[in-house]
Amino acid sequence: MCASCGYPAAPGHWTDAGATDPGDRIRARFRRAQVLNAVLRPYGLTAHDGGLIPGLQIATLSGSQTIVDDLDGVWVAAERLAGGAVDPLDARFVRTGSEAP
Amino acid sequence: MTRDDGRMRMTVLGGYLGSGKTTWLRHQLHHGQFKDALVIVNEVAETPVDAAILGDVPNLAVLAGGCVCCQARSKLVSLLREVCDARSRLDSSRERLQHIVLETSGLADPGPIVEAVRGDSVLVHHIVVSEIIVAVDALNALQQLRSEPLGRAQVEVADRLVVTKIDVAQVAALTRLLATLRRLNPGAMISGAARGSAGGLPACDDADPEPLPEPPAEAGRSPIFATRLVLDPTIDWTAFSVWLSALLHARGDDVLRVKGVARTPAGRLLLQSVRKTVQSPEILPEQNDRVDNIMVVIGRGYRAEDLRRSLQYFATAERT
Repeated sequence: MCASCGYPAAPGHWTDAGATDPGDRIRARFRRAQVLNAVLRPYGLTAHDGGLIPGLQIATLSGSQTIVDDLDGVWVAAERLAGGAVDPLDARFVRTGSEAP
Repeated sequence: MTRDDGRMRMTVLGGYLGSGKTTWLRHQLHHGQFKDALVIVNEVAETPVDAAILGDVPNLAVLAGGCVCCQARSKLVSLLREVCDARSRLDSSRERLQHIVLETSGLADPGPIVEAVRGDSVLVHHIVVSEIIVAVDALNALQQLRSEPLGRAQVEVADRLVVTKIDVAQVAALTRLLATLRRLNPGAMISGAARGSAGGLPACDDADPEPLPEPPAEAGRSPIFATRLVLDPTIDWTAFSVWLSALLHARGDDVLRVKGVARTPAGRLLLQSVRKTVQSPEILPEQNDRVDNIMVVIGRGYRAEDLRRSLQYFATAERT
């Protein structure tokens, strides 16, 4: 609850709903960065979440970077930085089990 | 019951013109369903008729002269904001409004209404859309589904389909309609009603669905189908949510509906999306007899096994 405006705390991004206590939350943030790195690496992007400040840093390998609030922001930023949408149904993500490393 | 986060639940009642929405709602209200709820009735015409049909509902608001999913959307948002404002002014000892029922006009697509509530910076704190109920006219629906893309859009996003007028429909036509509805929206619960009271439906396992022509705007697109995704222990909520948010960002126009319950460190989460909009998940009480960790994805333009493989990639790729 915000003491000034009286609104209840923001419901947050829907993806944050899986962790409510502080320990789970920080674990979820690190895990999120881990999954994002695996997914964004082929696009020449990295994700970093230090756990100290809100938000995620998305950077290109050449060093340009941006800070986003949530996963919706990640995909918008990735689309801009990589020059195309990150599509989970792209061929690189749908390899069969035998092809997977 | 779901966890009380202080927000009002909103039930959206839709369905094509003349599909029996008001009749069904009147019957439910008469029998004490949606007790103490605020009922909002939207009509495209300037003269509200439905409000008169509903009679002496204690808590009724009418939005006439425009459809709330398009031209009258701002009217709906401002009405809901007033409701939220009045509710917030009540001191905590008073009984507060818990539920809103929105009966849309027959020309409304429920999708944009959910987006309007979810996308408004005030309403999102006060209202969560808990269910989309769509009335389907047993006599006319097949013809409407054939010719009206809107009729299909309504059926596709429903959580619950109420087939009305089953007392006057022929059994053969009814089973065909049920098979068609199952195909269009395999995830929805289907029930029958005659003049508002619940009625049994015939089995439709053997019936063939109506071959529906592709609507003009969607000609050349593949049919809609449902995929059942099992979130096995290797797929944690975080990986799943990263995957789904990417999927909706890239394929939100094709992925029409996602619904299911996932087990997370925070408890059992009810997740649902309508096109690109995801409702804030609700935490459900523990029930050991329920089968969780299954998500139903309804959409088109992709292969079911690609969804599974891609999800598996997201869940396990970091170990490479």
